Amino acid sequence: MRVQARSLAYLFIAGAALGLLTLVFPHGENVDDIALVVLAGVATLIAVAMWLWADRVRPWQLHAALASGTIILSLANYFVEATVIYPLMYTWTALFAFYFFRVEVALAHIALIAVSYAVVLIVVDPPSAVVRWLLAVGTPLIAGLLISRLLGQLRFGVHDAERRTRALQESEARTRLVLDGAPDAFVSLDRDGVIKAWNSAAERLFGWSASEAIGVPFRSLVTPEEFRERHDQRRMALIDTPEVVATQRYDAEFLRRDGTRFPADATVSKIEIKGEPFVSGFIRDVSERERRQQERETLLREQAARAEAERVAELVSGMQLLVDAALEHTRLDKMLEDLIMRVRGVLQADAATILLADEDERLSVAASSVPDATDGEEDERQEPIGLGEGFAGRVARAREAMLAHDPAPADLPDPALRRIEVDSLIGVPLLAENRVTGVLVAASVAPRRFSPEDLAVLRLAADRVALAIQHARIYEREHKIAVTLQRSMLLPPEDIPQPPGLRVAARYEPAATEADVGGDWYDVIPTPTGGLGLVMGDVAGKGLTAATMVSRLRAALRAYALEGHEPARVIEQLNRLVWNEGRDSQMATLIYMVVEPGESRVDWVNAGHPAPLLVNGTDSPHYLEGATSVPLGVLPFPSYETVTSSMEPGSSLVLFTDGLIERPGELIDDGMAKLAARVSEAPDDPEALCNYLLSTLVPRGGATDDVAILTLRNLPYSDRFRANFKAEPEALSQMRSLLRRWLRHGGASERTIAEVATACGEAATNAIEHSGAAHDFELSGRLVNDEIELIVRDHGRWRQPREGDHGRGLSLMRALMDTVELTPSPEGTTVRLRRRLESDGGSE
Amino acid sequence: MKDGLVGLEIEERGDIVLAHVTGELDISGAPHAGERIAEAVPTSARGLVVDMSELDFIDSSGVAMLFGLVRRLSSRRQELRVVAPKGRPVARVLEIVEFQRAAPICVDVDAALAGID
Repeated sequence: MRVQARSLAYLFIAGAALGLLTLVFPHGENVDDIALVVLAGVATLIAVAMWLWADRVRPWQLHAALASGTIILSLANYFVEATVIYPLMYTWTALFAFYFFRVEVALAHIALIAVSYAVVLIVVDPPSAVVRWLLAVGTPLIAGLLISRLLGQLRFGVHDAERRTRALQESEARTRLVLDGAPDAFVSLDRDGVIKAWNSAAERLFGWSASEAIGVPFRSLVTPEEFRERHDQRRMALIDTPEVVATQRYDAEFLRRDGTRFPADATVSKIEIKGEPFVSGFIRDVSERERRQQERETLLREQAARAEAERVAELVSGMQLLVDAALEHTRLDKMLEDLIMRVRGVLQADAATILLADEDERLSVAASSVPDATDGEEDERQEPIGLGEGFAGRVARAREAMLAHDPAPADLPDPALRRIEVDSLIGVPLLAENRVTGVLVAASVAPRRFSPEDLAVLRLAADRVALAIQHARIYEREHKIAVTLQRSMLLPPEDIPQPPGLRVAARYEPAATEADVGGDWYDVIPTPTGGLGLVMGDVAGKGLTAATMVSRLRAALRAYALEGHEPARVIEQLNRLVWNEGRDSQMATLIYMVVEPGESRVDWVNAGHPAPLLVNGTDSPHYLEGATSVPLGVLPFPSYETVTSSMEPGSSLVLFTDGLIERPGELIDDGMAKLAARVSEAPDDPEALCNYLLSTLVPRGGATDDVAILTLRNLPYSDRFRANFKAEPEALSQMRSLLRRWLRHGGASERTIAEVATACGEAATNAIEHSGAAHDFELSGRLVNDEIELIVRDHGRWRQPREGDHGRGLSLMRALMDTVELTPSPEGTTVRLRRRLESDGGSE
Repeated sequence: MKDGLVGLEIEERGDIVLAHVTGELDISGAPHAGERIAEAVPTSARGLVVDMSELDFIDSSGVAMLFGLVRRLSSRRQELRVVAPKGRPVARVLEIVEFQRAAPICVDVDAALAGID
């Protein structure tokens, strides 16, 4: 509109100027000057009006202005009586109309031009007949054409208007549909707050149907009591705003029909329909949104809490690292090195030092972590720091955490710290059992004030470090005790009893890497009947606890074994010991085997230990499996069973702990198969067998676990034997066992065996009585042509038996054997006994 | 109860002491067993039965123990009976040393108890 108005203004000014110029130049007398000036004035006024109100001009005003321009032009033509120049102006206005207006407006304007120009021509200058005819026919023709075109346009316009009305109705229906189908409630109120529109979402939201709601004041229907005042104020304020259109958005609370409340979000607009203001708005139930909002807030709070927890966890895990370091290492120096690195990490300090106190409470650097400390230059050795000397000494004396800023070099507790520019120091005492055991110091090179939080962290660290040091010291002490204990418990090879007919060997190989003493152990116990108890065990765990349990088991087992209980009863006693007195559900595996000389069998019981290997005669080795029961300490009353396996002379037994068959990454079955294979190709002699197994099964450089091996060989029977016995009463039983076994193999009857054993026992008893306790006596036997010959040789002097008790021994020998020869000599006495096997022996 | 190789159970049957000796009786256990049996016999007892029916082995020190008991008991006018079934190694040894001269040897406990009046 603005452009058209301005253009019209130019057009009118131009027309006015043209009219005035006509007066200036010479012109005909018929020209009415006054009329032209008036026309020019009118045109100028219109031009001025168009220019000034260009912004507010309405379309009809523009059309009117254009039409008035054509009228003015026609009048000018009339007054000037000139029909030549002004038609140019007509052309211009027509072009203008086409350019600026819709085609029908332009055509209507051209029709107006045609009519007015024809009138002017006819009035002013009655034309010739031809021209008049042309004008009379042409003007109506042009005007008619134009008007018909215009009418057609109008008809179009009517159609258009109808269509537009229909479209508008459709649009309104659509709008209603849209409003109705809108997910949000749409409500329209009049000035008084009476409901005028209420869509189906509103019906659903509030519970009131449109027919119930429309015509009712909104506030009384859905506004809660306390908000009604505010509702009125808000509505009136919106209606009274000077703006035509105004929109507000606010949070509100409404009542449903059932009386429940809900939070809502209202977007309200003021609209005027036919001058009447309405307040319309969309209302959205935001309870869900608020719930989600709350959830989100809860989530955010949780996230914040989690972040905090993670921060704490990180701190704790830092602490845990310290504790781990404390537990990981069994050696104090290694542990301190690791700890100091971790303290540095947790505090993000540049350097850290641990000083430990000696008995005189003087501090020495035990571990330090200072950057660039490896540049080769030796730090001066520092004298131990006394209480109160330097920073560390002050911390130790005060027994308090301390901070120091910009410390003097002499204050630095660690000479290594003098090579870096220390800005700040933080130190805490290490307290254990109310004694300062050391000081933990961290240093920062970068300008830094250690915060109270850092102090708290370091204090926590110090607690753990102190505890760890305490533990490590206790551990070291325990370790020493455990090693001593273990060494004292394992029989040295020369102390292993070697009863006649049996050969025993044992080995203990500590693991190469383990600093701890393992719970593997073995024992060889002489039984009262001259047999041997073989023990192979493994107490779970390591160190002093395990070693202590081993020592208790060993003592108890020896005691029970010496009482001569059967193996299963012995094991039950041991189980009671572990069950009742073992610490921290301590547990032990153990195998106990009893081999009696003279018997071709072994009685054994196995409490969860790897099965021993038996090589029976020339058979291939096999594991004594099948009767393995639970380890000791697992059940209060487990049942253990003594199993008897035959073990012919010439058999070997191999007892071991799992270290021998377990290899990292290998199946135990493979390890067992490998052991059996090695045993089958190994030499018979127990010592050689042990050596062979260790050299072939234990890796060079030591095993990964402790290894204990115990081997026994039941020497094969032969026609000859020779055995040495200690000259003490306890040896008699052993000697009889051996003798019985040998005689049994020789085919002697039970009666013969009993009598020869008695006779030989008498000779041996004499030998024991004649010899000093430090001496041995020797028994040898041979079987020649069904005659047995036994020789008892001692290193004492034969004493002539007195009459009475002692004389009975000799008479018994004589009665039970075919011949008895006594040969005293300065080196000792020899008793030779002979008896034929088929003979009943002796006289009645 | 068991003391080394020797098992020893002592009971009282009225005013007779009954000692069951089991296991193997040699110099390592006999002197001690003898002491314990002797101590178990009060002066009021009429006698002692040493049951050796379950004893697997005896040698001269066991025999000496028995003679020692005979001596101690006879000084108190108490009687001793030894139970040793025939055919067992113990009976054979007691036969050889002619123990029956010092005290009667019975085949079972009942006979031994009945023999003491």
